Amino acid sequence: MTSIIKETQSIKEAVTFINAIDVNKFSRLISRIIQKLHLKGERTFSEEEEEKLQAALSLDKNALNLVLETSAFILEQAVYHNVKPASLQQQLEMVHLTPEKAEVFSQTWATTGPELVEKLKCNLFAPKKLEYVGWQLNLQMAQSSHARLKSPSAVLQLGLQGEDSEVQENVFVEFNHQQLLDLYNKLEIVQGQLDSLT
Amino acid sequence: MSSSHSKDSLSFLGGRIPPEVESLSKNLKDVDQELFRKILKAVVSALEGKDCTEGMKSIAESSVIPQERLCHIVAGIHRLLSEAIRIPTALLKQEIFKEDLKELRIPEDFITDFSSVVFGNHRAALEAATSQKDPHLPTLEELKWRVDVAISTSSLARALQPSVLMQMKLSDGRFQRFEVPVSKFQELRYNVALILKEMNDLEKRSILKIQN
Repeated sequence: MTSIIKETQSIKEAVTFINAIDVNKFSRLISRIIQKLHLKGERTFSEEEEEKLQAALSLDKNALNLVLETSAFILEQAVYHNVKPASLQQQLEMVHLTPEKAEVFSQTWATTGPELVEKLKCNLFAPKKLEYVGWQLNLQMAQSSHARLKSPSAVLQLGLQGEDSEVQENVFVEFNHQQLLDLYNKLEIVQGQLDSLT
Repeated sequence: MSSSHSKDSLSFLGGRIPPEVESLSKNLKDVDQELFRKILKAVVSALEGKDCTEGMKSIAESSVIPQERLCHIVAGIHRLLSEAIRIPTALLKQEIFKEDLKELRIPEDFITDFSSVVFGNHRAALEAATSQKDPHLPTLEELKWRVDVAISTSSLARALQPSVLMQMKLSDGRFQRFEVPVSKFQELRYNVALILKEMNDLEKRSILKIQN
């Protein structure tokens, strides 16, 4: 079984620092890190929080950075290879983390890990994702060019979330009966493809 | 809708007759059928949204009718046709339409020509063209899709996650490309089916309740 953590120089250094941290504080730290692991490019801690951590854990800036990055790395490797908690614990002890610190990692991984894996599975590349589906069914009675219509028309609202943006973009599309039927038939074909995968 | 034909109200023009239509018969005096048909053709293609400046120019240049009168004629024909096409054929019958035009003192031959535009084969194309100009939200012109399975990503060696990628081309020319997670896809499919069911119910009900 290949180890997911190779004992490099920087790992050795990080391990020394980690082993010195109070175990309760460390446990809270790891919980926080794993919660934000699925967000790419976001800092787990703000500048302010990092300064407070430096004081609380008696680590200078570089040491703290090393600890945070190494901890995140360990968790990322665990996710990538989908290791079992027991195996993770073993491997961490092999790079000389104290058993109680190794246990913090494997416990957190056991409880929060599966949820994280699910989140990451859904994090596929796409400029936009469909987040919201809403609709309205109207009965159109008339318009400038047509009197006495009585034609049903549906408006579909698709809420698209861009990868980097907070704001949802709304796309409104109008359908008459036939157009909606065509859409439905297409969706049925897609469903058929999805079904054939399982 | 009133079915009595008084001089003041025609079936398809509603309450008051627009002045350009009222004066049409007077303006059409001395207009021969050939010229009338040319003008009619130009107005029809204008209604279809086509550019008819060339046609109109040649009419203006080649006829003896003064330009101002030509303008009134074009306005009258345009108004008359637009109003007639608005009303579904089920409600405005050809005979009634012809009667109305007689009341406006439009010459018999011209009435036939008008009738063939409003009730002929060309009607559907005209209706489609005029409804384009009305306000409406974009419609779906084309939907392309793809079902992918992510085998592995930079975060997960074994992901095996299916997803649907959709590209919509809308009638206003925009493209929307987006991913649909499988759960959202189910939601979309369910909702579309639901709207269809409601539409069916609505169509059955509306025939019975809302009178023509």
